[in-house]
Parts: sequence; C-alpha cells; structure tokens
Amino acid sequence: MNYFAGIDIGSTAIKVALIDEEKNVIASKVTSTGSHFRKNSIEALHGLVAENGLDIDNLAYMVSTGYGRKLLKEAHESVSEITANAIGALEAGWEHGEISTIINIGGQDTKAIQIDGYGTVTNFAMNDKCAAGTGKFLDVTARNLEVDLEELGEYHFNLKAAPLPINSTCVVFAESEIIGLLADGHGREEIIAGIHYSIAKRTIRLAKRIGLDGLVCFDGGPALNKGLVASMEDELGKKIVVPEFPQLTTAIGASVLAYEAYLDEQEIT
Amino acid sequence: MGSESLTEEKKVAFNRTHMAIEAERVLQQIKDDFPDNPDAMNYFYDRYEQLYCEGNSPFEAENVIGTLCVQVPEELIYAAGGTPVRMCNGFYANDQAGAEFMPAKSCSLVKATLGMLNDRSTLPFADKVKDIVLPATCDQKRKAGEMIREMGYEVYDLEVPPVKESEAARLYWRRSIRDFAVALQKITGKKISKNRLKEAMAKVAAAQKAYRKLHSLRAENPALILGKDAFMVTNAYFFDNIEDWTDVVNQLNEELEQRKKENFSAAQRRAPRILFTGSPAIFPNLKLPILIEQSGGVIVADENCSSNRMLHDMVAVDEWDTENMVASIADNYLKPCTCPIFTHNDDRKRKLVSMAREFAADGVVYQAFSGCQVYQMEYSSIAKALQAEGIPMLFVESDYSPDDMGQLSTRIEAFIESLKAKRRRRR
Repeated sequence: MNYFAGIDIGSTAIKVALIDEEKNVIASKVTSTGSHFRKNSIEALHGLVAENGLDIDNLAYMVSTGYGRKLLKEAHESVSEITANAIGALEAGWEHGEISTIINIGGQDTKAIQIDGYGTVTNFAMNDKCAAGTGKFLDVTARNLEVDLEELGEYHFNLKAAPLPINSTCVVFAESEIIGLLADGHGREEIIAGIHYSIAKRTIRLAKRIGLDGLVCFDGGPALNKGLVASMEDELGKKIVVPEFPQLTTAIGASVLAYEAYLDEQEIT
Repeated sequence: MGSESLTEEKKVAFNRTHMAIEAERVLQQIKDDFPDNPDAMNYFYDRYEQLYCEGNSPFEAENVIGTLCVQVPEELIYAAGGTPVRMCNGFYANDQAGAEFMPAKSCSLVKATLGMLNDRSTLPFADKVKDIVLPATCDQKRKAGEMIREMGYEVYDLEVPPVKESEAARLYWRRSIRDFAVALQKITGKKISKNRLKEAMAKVAAAQKAYRKLHSLRAENPALILGKDAFMVTNAYFFDNIEDWTDVVNQLNEELEQRKKENFSAAQRRAPRILFTGSPAIFPNLKLPILIEQSGGVIVADENCSSNRMLHDMVAVDEWDTENMVASIADNYLKPCTCPIFTHNDDRKRKLVSMAREFAADGVVYQAFSGCQVYQMEYSSIAKALQAEGIPMLFVESDYSPDDMGQLSTRIEAFIESLKAKRRRRR
C-alpha cells in the first residue's frame, strides 16, 4: 500500500508525517534540526519508515516545507509552510469545527493565517525578520531561569499573584530584563507568566491585522506550552483550538498535499 | 593627515569592491536564473556591468545634472544643454555607508543615495556631477539635501506643493518650475530657447512612447517579458543616453511582438500575474521582483517611481510658445503623479485598481522600505481599496539588507500559492 510523506524542516525541529491513502496519519516524528539538516531529514524519514515496518519503495510522493524545504532534493516538490500549515490545521482541527484562523509560533517566526473552508490561504501576516515573541524567546527564557522548556506551563499555573509585565520584546534585551527581575527578588512563576502574556499580546496584535473571526487554531511547538495557550485565550477573549500534535500540523499538511499531488499525477498518466 | 586620507581611500575602495560583488551577483541571477531572456536585454545587462562592475561612465556627456526624484522635468534639463541622471540608489553597500548620516529607522533608498554621493562609489559620471536637483518631496529626501550640500555638491531645491488638486498648488508649482528653468540656464550657461525646448520634448516623448509600447505589451497573456527585465530596462533610463535607450527599447518591443506572434510565454502559462507597487525597485535591490518570479509568479505591471511613474505620463501642449510649453511640462510632473507624499491618494488607489484590471493581475505586491513613512502609512488605505475590488494584496516591509531572504521567500511563495489555489477553485 502506498503512503505519502510531509517533511517540515524548521529552524529548530524537523517534523515528519506519513499518511496512507485514507489520509490517516500512520507515523510521525519530531527531531532536532541541527546543522546538517538535509542529512538529518533523510535519517529521520528513513528511521521513521523502518520503525514502523514500512517499505521505502512504497513512499509514493514526498513534499518538503519549512525553512529547509528547497534544499531537500529528495522531495518531489516543496511548498511554503504557510500553505502546508493551512491544509494541516484544517485536517487536524476538523473535529472541533471549521478553522478560519491559524496562529502559528515556530522557532523564529510567528504567523497568522486566514483560511477558507477548502484550506486555501485567503490572507496572512508574518513577523518581520526579528524573532521577538517566537519559540526562541521561550527557549532563552527557560535557559535564563534554569527551567526545562516543558516545565514552563506548570510554573505558569502555579502562580498565585499577577504576572509581571515584561516590556522587552527583543530576545537579547528580555534576557537582561529577566536577570534584573530575578535580582529584584521576583519569583520564576511571575516572570514566566509575564513572558507568556507578553508573547500572547504581541501575537494577537499581529493576528488582528488579518482579523480573528471564527474558530482560531494555535499550533507550532510553543502551543505545547499550556501556560502560553491560556495567555493567548485571555488576550483573545475566546477559546482556542490546539491540535493534538501541534508541532506536526504543517508536516501533516505537506503530506496531504503530497497525496493530492500524487492523485493529480495518476489522473494525468 | 596623510594616513587618514589613505584609510579613507581604502574604505572607498572596499565599498567599491563590495558594490561590484553585489552588482555582479544580482546580474548573474537576472541573466542566468531565468531562461529565454530577450536578446535586446543584453544591451541593458551590459550597461549595468560597465557602470557598476567596471566603473566606467555610461557615455560621453556634458553638464551632468543629478536628479533625486521623479518630479524633475527632464525636458528643461535637456533644453538647457544638460544631461539628467537620476541618483536614487539601490545598493546595500551604499545603504550601510550612508547609515552614518541618518537616524536608525530610516529609508534604505535615502541612506544608499547619501552613501553613494559621499564616496562617489557607484555614482554615474562620478567625476562630473556637481549639481543636484532635489525636489522637496518626503521629509527624508528633503533633509538629506542639507547633507548633500555639506558633501560639496550644489543642491537646487525644487519646491513641490504638498497637495496637488488645488489651483493654488498648480500655480505654486508652475512658478517653481519657471524658477527652475531660469536657474538651469545659469548652471549650464545655455539659454532654453523655444526650438531647443521643442527638441528636448520630442526626445523625452520618443522615450516615453517606446516605454508605453513596452508597458502595453506586458498586458498580453501569456506574458511576453518578465518583470525583472522590465525593471532593468526602466532602471537603465536613470543613467543611460536617452536616444540609445529609446532605440533599444524599440528593438525590444519588436522582439516582444515577434514573441506574441509565436504565442511565446516568458513565464509558465498559468503563472499568477502580479502588479508591483510601493517603494521603488532599483538595481541591484531587485530582491522582491526576483523572488516573485522565482516563486512562479510574473510581474506584468508596476506602479513605481523607478519605472511606470517616471515614464508613463506625457506632456500635452496646447500652445507651442515657450511659456505655455513650460506650463504644460509643469502640469505633467504634478497632476498625474501618484507619489505618496501628496495628502490625497485617491489617484493612486484609482490607478492601482484600474491597472490591476487592465493587466489582468491576480494579485498586488506592495513593497515598503522599513522607515519609509509615506508608503507604510498609505498601505492600509490601498489595501482597503483593493480588497473592495476583490484583489488580493501582499504587503512586504523590507530594506536593502539581504538577511530577510528566507522570510521573504516564505511569504512570497505562500502568496503565489494562494493565488494559484484561488484560481484553481474558480475554474
């Protein structure tokens, strides 16, 4: 039986998703991008195929996306992560209803994407070259506070008082602001929650440029952080849908596009 | 003192090398990354190579007069025996060199122009430029004038009214242009006679006719020429000999007519058609146009002061006496001008919507340089006007630095993909 691959080569992580002809996700994997991301992508794909007892020859079509998309010559074609994300979020969120806005936070980008019922991108906004308020920001915060990235959410909910206002949006300046706050005797909880609200505020402001009507989906690695999700919901004033595997949405979207491209080719030949 | 000037020389030499590298890299992209460039384009590619990579003057010229915006009437300069050369610069190396004159968040174009004028690095006719005409357009250009003066150039401030609809504005501008004509004669030492003015007008009109033909050929579907080449043509008008330029554009047009007969397509047949607007594309900062066309789109028209706004509108004369001719010239450089410095921008909105229709554009890409207030501020009203007509628009804030290429390519590709998807569903 044929299967289809979507590989999302991001600045921080490589995400691979395999789907079958029923568009069911049959396997997926997240590994770190590292410096040899072409080699790492291929290894991740082959590893995933082997672990699941699949035959690489049955891989009928592969679509790459993300920052490294064009360098993966093994892929049949590449597509921008915005298009792939739209398709993936529609697939991942369908049980909650029809997604109309996606907020994606990645390692170095923040995007807001407006889609129609077909998963077609109708409008989008993206941060400029500055990485303020992206995954990198959380990464640096966790390191400064000597907390695991995975624990940020827990700290957030342990806070009994109000979150501290964090004013710097620049990763470099935020670092010194955090050190200053720690020196003033503030606790990690209030700083962490403060950072979550600062990212949420910035992100919602970006998303407002394209409108925030209908069902909003939040994905990308940072969406695993429940504290950040709660802050986003507070800033937005409504519930947000987070897919079960928020890191994988774009890779899944690419695999769906791979499947569709395969079908188109079958029709032609 | 000696060692100081040596370092200064070294710095300039360094910059020049950086610029040659920059120019070479973009020229290579433009020539080699795309198949089937029209033969006539080789002339233009060579012009850039000679000027920016080899450092040669474009041609023999007298009384070279630098111009800094699209509002300077070239007819008057030619009639006074001068040669107008547009100084607006597109080099990142110059942008960095010019950064010392400007606040941190300011326009790349103005910074690059200052950087170039200061070290005369990529300045066409570097040894001959003394006089510069600076229309009082945006704040940054205006204030740059003071610095240009300090660099040792003679700067003529051409006063521009901030609105263009009123009768007062028209009279003010006509007077400003008359004063300019008087000043020009002093600069060149030659009188602007009726006959010389007529000749000059004919020369500019011939160039504009050639441009307008090219412009109209771009409305063809499938596209006959890529937008990156169209920008190379209009950019060369900045510094080229006007008659040579006109001849080659006419040759190019013939070549495109031939392509039309052969049903040739310069891009993929279904490539989304893009209208390009906003801050001007100036060589070698063609990163956005190149990205659009590398991502499978094709630029079929532009509304840029380095291109369409500079060449499209022609002088219409009622009475062929000097006074009326000068007045008609003045009107042509004010009334149709869609520069965002003017407070009402209804003209620009109308123009963009009608161009999108005329050229069957699937979408609009709006470039705004970081720090360019007027284009950044106009963006939302333009977006609304286009949205009301169902025309998708991508707004891109960028500058001359190459470090946002990864980000930009994601955005451009996503936009092109969304236009393709939209069209697919329509079918």
